[in-house]
Amino acid sequence: MSKHAGSMTLALILGLSNSAIASDAIVGDAAAGEERFHQSCHACHGPAGKGAASYPKVSGNPIEYTREKLKAYREGQKFGPNSSLMIMMAKPLSDEEIENLSVYLKDAQYK
Amino acid sequence: MKHLIKKSLITSAVTALLLGGSVAYGAGMDVPTIKVTPVLEGLESPWDMNVRSDGTMFFTEKCNGLSVRSPDGKVNKIYGMKGSSGYSSSGADLFCEGQAGMMGVAADRHFDQNRQLYVASTSNKYHGSGCKTNFERCDGNIVMRLTLSEDLKKVVDRTDIVKDIQYKPFESDQPFGGPGAHNGGRLRVGPGGYLWIAGGDRHRGVCPQSSTLLCGKVLRVDTDGNAHPENNPPEGFDKRIYTYGHRNVQGIDFRPSDGKAFTAEHGPWHSDEITALVNGGNAGWDPQQNTAGRDECPDEYCGYTPNQMDGMDPAIRAAHMPMSDTRFDDLMPPTWNNNGFSQGTSSAAFLKGENWGIYEGRLATGVLGIGFGGTPIGQRVDIVSITPDGLGINGITHMPLGFSKRFRGLVLAPDNSLYVAVDEGEIFQVTATSNK
Repeated sequence: MSKHAGSMTLALILGLSNSAIASDAIVGDAAAGEERFHQSCHACHGPAGKGAASYPKVSGNPIEYTREKLKAYREGQKFGPNSSLMIMMAKPLSDEEIENLSVYLKDAQYK
Repeated sequence: MKHLIKKSLITSAVTALLLGGSVAYGAGMDVPTIKVTPVLEGLESPWDMNVRSDGTMFFTEKCNGLSVRSPDGKVNKIYGMKGSSGYSSSGADLFCEGQAGMMGVAADRHFDQNRQLYVASTSNKYHGSGCKTNFERCDGNIVMRLTLSEDLKKVVDRTDIVKDIQYKPFESDQPFGGPGAHNGGRLRVGPGGYLWIAGGDRHRGVCPQSSTLLCGKVLRVDTDGNAHPENNPPEGFDKRIYTYGHRNVQGIDFRPSDGKAFTAEHGPWHSDEITALVNGGNAGWDPQQNTAGRDECPDEYCGYTPNQMDGMDPAIRAAHMPMSDTRFDDLMPPTWNNNGFSQGTSSAAFLKGENWGIYEGRLATGVLGIGFGGTPIGQRVDIVSITPDGLGINGITHMPLGFSKRFRGLVLAPDNSLYVAVDEGEIFQVTATSNK
């Protein structure tokens, strides 16, 4: 579940419209991000994004870094030899899912 | 053997009587009790192991090197790669990139006398001037024969017995297109003490069907790297070749009942396969462009066509770019096809010993798990019952391990337990206890 509630309260106080919030104020939900990670990312990047085999570590990065990378992949941009795979995997992600993944991966740790 | 079976039956019968005439669970079908014990954790991409009768375990980490775990659990780093640390010595020519690095390890059949190990690795020692582009031969994979010190902690001699297995040096326009792709790398010592070397096509279209390039081949050589005298590849082929036409073989083992070699091989977004090898046979992979009805392909490699970048029905892919092309007269038809899927079959090991109950003689096969284009991820170890002729299966059971990981390396130990390495950095021992 994304955490729009806090943003919405703030928006009401400030008198902003809901559409303005939706475009730039999604707050990521780490639990939802973890669930999405297990659906699409875990098999290659390993538990908690620690990296596995030739797939790189993707955890521990700032939220902004992961967000921008995933959005760029979603738009079809290439960054390296396995970009084709990431472009395919990122294509169906929504802004909310990207935010959730970014928040989860920032602090994800393999225990 | 007969005596043992009789004894087991008697034991079961006695148990049944003690239970008041009811038949004890499992009395008719010996499903063994499976137990998993962690052996090592915190490793970096453990790839292959060899276990000795006293429990000593040699293992490779793809980007670090060769180590040994003593029966008391202590680990000593024996032979590292360029940039590694903590190893007794290292090879400055050994490197890792993408799917390639230090991979298979096998022990000489006389290891207890000669302390010789065989290790496959990526090396730049024999590149020469042949690695300037992806379209040159680029001899970048070697097999080393390492002689260890008496305490098994150091290498006292290294001889490169195979120096000319090709390597992919640069990125290409393919999924998984980085350097080091499709590097095979499994080693096993087979019947008669000969060394079997499983290779990959290194994303080069001409490799698998080439008579001279060793990429996309399974080799059978002696302990000096010379061809087995009975290898029977087609005329004009390198005599070290046992079979050709492979895509990326990471699993190979020998059926206990007859010594027949079987491989487990990754498919191209469809059709992971197990194959019963035939001396001189063709596994039927031919990703050359302008071949078999296909046109020009990205970087002259058709292996992911007709649609490189999006998911599509595996059956349509298979029709366009078959894993085992039936146009070859010398085709070795697959023993098993993964229901049309490619989920990344990796290592394979036959289960030996009565402790495995009904699984005795079956082939354990690790699946890494690849969930692209709508394919179920499928991380598991399959237990495959293969027909006596090797051309089909009777059935498959998933090994009840209790977890799903990227199963990279499987090898049977002398005590008939199965050692399993996963990409997540762990090695497990899987024991089976018969319930008879």
